[in-house]
Amino acid sequence: MDDPNRLEAKGLARAKIRGKRRRVQAIRRRTARGALALFAVVWTVVFAQLVSGNDPALSRPPVADRRHVPPRVAPEEEFAPEAEPEPSEEFPPEAEVEAVEVEPEPEPEPEPIVTSAS
Amino acid sequence: MIAAGAVSAGPHVFWITSRAAGTVALVLSSLAVVAGLLIGSRGGALKGLGGDVKALHEALSLATLAAVAVHGLALLGDHYLHPSILDLSIPFTGAYRPFWTGIGIVAGWSLAALGLSYYARSSIGQARWRSLHRFTALFWVLGIAHSLGSGTDAGRLWFLVMLVVPAGPALVLLLRRLGRGRYGKTVSPVPSSTIEIATAGQASAASRISS
Repeated sequence: MDDPNRLEAKGLARAKIRGKRRRVQAIRRRTARGALALFAVVWTVVFAQLVSGNDPALSRPPVADRRHVPPRVAPEEEFAPEAEPEPSEEFPPEAEVEAVEVEPEPEPEPEPIVTSAS
Repeated sequence: MIAAGAVSAGPHVFWITSRAAGTVALVLSSLAVVAGLLIGSRGGALKGLGGDVKALHEALSLATLAAVAVHGLALLGDHYLHPSILDLSIPFTGAYRPFWTGIGIVAGWSLAALGLSYYARSSIGQARWRSLHRFTALFWVLGIAHSLGSGTDAGRLWFLVMLVVPAGPALVLLLRRLGRGRYGKTVSPVPSSTIEIATAGQASAASRISS
């Protein structure tokens, strides 16, 4: 037969272990929730950056070690209608062919209406 | 919110996910290093909280590994970089910034190996595991170097704040630990609690003998 003091001590030890286990589970749960919340916040920040056109990868000029990577396109640009091409340096405005003034062709005179009565 | 954003992010969803997971991994790993260094410290402020800090260290480390896995795997779906599984798993082979990305791959694999070796301590041996586990700090530093070298958001203020706020205290604690020379000493393979129990037992035995 076990000593009642010994049984009490065992019960206390068991309760302590149970309490510790509960605390550890709570810490794990809180850490997982915190990590997910942090992920959501960072995801939103990066997304907002991308949508607002301030994304560093889209605004940075291409460098030598990125030559294998095709340039990224911002979401709003992907669906936008094609913009007019800007004049490039290869064809400066000075070199453009000057517009030749062409006299407007005279409008043809309307033909007289011929009716069966005439 | 993320689901709505994912729909409108379209083809960039994997890229955004990878960037966010990488940042989260960086923050979590720094916090895990802080918790890990606090376990070893003999500070009076943590007296009685040792078990909780240990549980926090373990939870943060596992969350870090999960974030690192998401960071790498999400890139598989990115159709701009379009890396293969080999590009993401073998260091210094990818086309995108091979050196910095390679450092990140080395850090990721090493953190996974060293972190998960905790569950194989009995076969590795406690003393050997402890001496191996110290290298975690080195791979954490490599992870930071990877984020600054190849991270898209490396120059952004919000990213630098998220990097410095948890990594600063971790670095201070690490330097303090290195300064005390604990890394040079051999640590007893027997946990301190066991030593305390053994000392108490010896003291009671001695008192019994003397009486």
